Amino acid sequence: MSEIAVSFSEVEKIYTRPRLMGAVYNKAVQGLSFDIPAGEITGLLGLNGAGKTTIMKLLTGLLFPTAGEVRVFGLSPSGQAAKARIGFLPELPYFPPQVKPGAALAYYGRLSGLSGGGLSLAVAAALERTGLGPHAEKRISEFSKGMLQRLGLAQALLHKPDMLVLDEPVSGLDPLAIHDIRKLLAGLSAEGRTIFLSSHSISEVEKLCGRVLIMVRGRLAKTVLRADWEAAAGGLETIFVEAVK
Amino acid sequence: MKTLSLAWAVASNSFVESVRHRFFTRFSVFAFTAIYASVLAGVMAMEQEARVLTDLGLALMEITALAYVLFQASSTLLKEAETKTIYLVFSRPVPRWIYLGGKMAGVMLTAAFMLAVMGGMHLALLLFRGFSLPEAYAWALAGSFLKLAVITAFAFFVSLFSTSSVSTLVIAGIMWTLGHFVSETRFLAEQVSGLKMIVLKSAILLIPNLQLFNARDAMGASCALTPLAIFSGAAWILAAYFASLWLLARKEF
Repeated sequence: MSEIAVSFSEVEKIYTRPRLMGAVYNKAVQGLSFDIPAGEITGLLGLNGAGKTTIMKLLTGLLFPTAGEVRVFGLSPSGQAAKARIGFLPELPYFPPQVKPGAALAYYGRLSGLSGGGLSLAVAAALERTGLGPHAEKRISEFSKGMLQRLGLAQALLHKPDMLVLDEPVSGLDPLAIHDIRKLLAGLSAEGRTIFLSSHSISEVEKLCGRVLIMVRGRLAKTVLRADWEAAAGGLETIFVEAVK
Repeated sequence: MKTLSLAWAVASNSFVESVRHRFFTRFSVFAFTAIYASVLAGVMAMEQEARVLTDLGLALMEITALAYVLFQASSTLLKEAETKTIYLVFSRPVPRWIYLGGKMAGVMLTAAFMLAVMGGMHLALLLFRGFSLPEAYAWALAGSFLKLAVITAFAFFVSLFSTSSVSTLVIAGIMWTLGHFVSETRFLAEQVSGLKMIVLKSAILLIPNLQLFNARDAMGASCALTPLAIFSGAAWILAAYFASLWLLARKEF
């Protein structure tokens, strides 16, 4: 039996917005239970507000569940041991525009515990792997959106994590950049890394993933395996539309 | 060792971002203008030129550094949250206490750097005017640094529950002002009774006495900054740090 990379058990997350009189509560996810096997590419699909980013943040320890339990490789996602095994790419990551990509990566590498020669090698490897090697001497302010997304991926890859958590990795990219990132992710998966990504692009998820979770209004509506959508008429899109309707 | 290396990574990054900020250049120009203005004021003071030149210069340096570090301390955490930079930090094995300590240290390093550079400019002007090194000058700079460190730590604390950097700036600015009137508040508390006395005595406990750090006021003592001042500064910084950490540890992003 394969190792479980991520496990959600009856997870609920309620956002509280304090008001002058009392507070407003917004239930982002509820009764959420699922497992993600290690070594697979799993996609997360859902309309806006379905709870995709909340799930990403819960498993990277940026949010704490209101109820239930989240485990990453059997560990608490708030702990340092779990975080050392994760590489996270948030949607539209920000990097200081005046520095070169190597300097930005060196900072995040140090935060991941790298230093000295190991850090320099990791930065160079991440730049090469994401195709930013030829642009290493440019300032980040000169980068296109696709290059910024690659840099975001590079910072997530620096410490060779066991799992990559990617929030909308191909959002707003041109077809060539999407093709390159897909190729990169497929290569990382072939090395045995677990990849968990959220996306609005059904076709991208269909091409990359072996398993897809469909979220509807904070609940897990359906878990679909590749064999299921390959056998279905209309593929994953039809399954998704039926689930969210 | 790993803890120190992580804290240094955060602090040095925070320091570099501070001095690279576009406002830093403007503050540098303002600092030079302010120090030069103290020379003009000194010339007008006739026999007291050296004293006026020294005291006014030190005061202007402190205010200039205060404005910049308050701007940094009140906006640094908010900016990191708004730009989502903090996601890239807290999704890594970086304990929040190290991150907070590193960020505070980075702004304090900026304050020390600004005081050192402006102090150098000020001393050069003093020497250029033919005056010798003023008494307790280094202690005066150390006192200014302690004040800035206390108010930086306080501003970080406020920024963790404040809704904007402007409100943090205002609250920290008020605390700075009140901190220079603690002996007057104490005097007033002795003159009144009842609720007024309780309010004033509570205020004395909740406001750092920044007058303790005015080293040139205490000139002639064996040590211009008393051990009480140093202890008080360290205690306020630690108290603000732990209060900030309590908030940060519970904060979600």
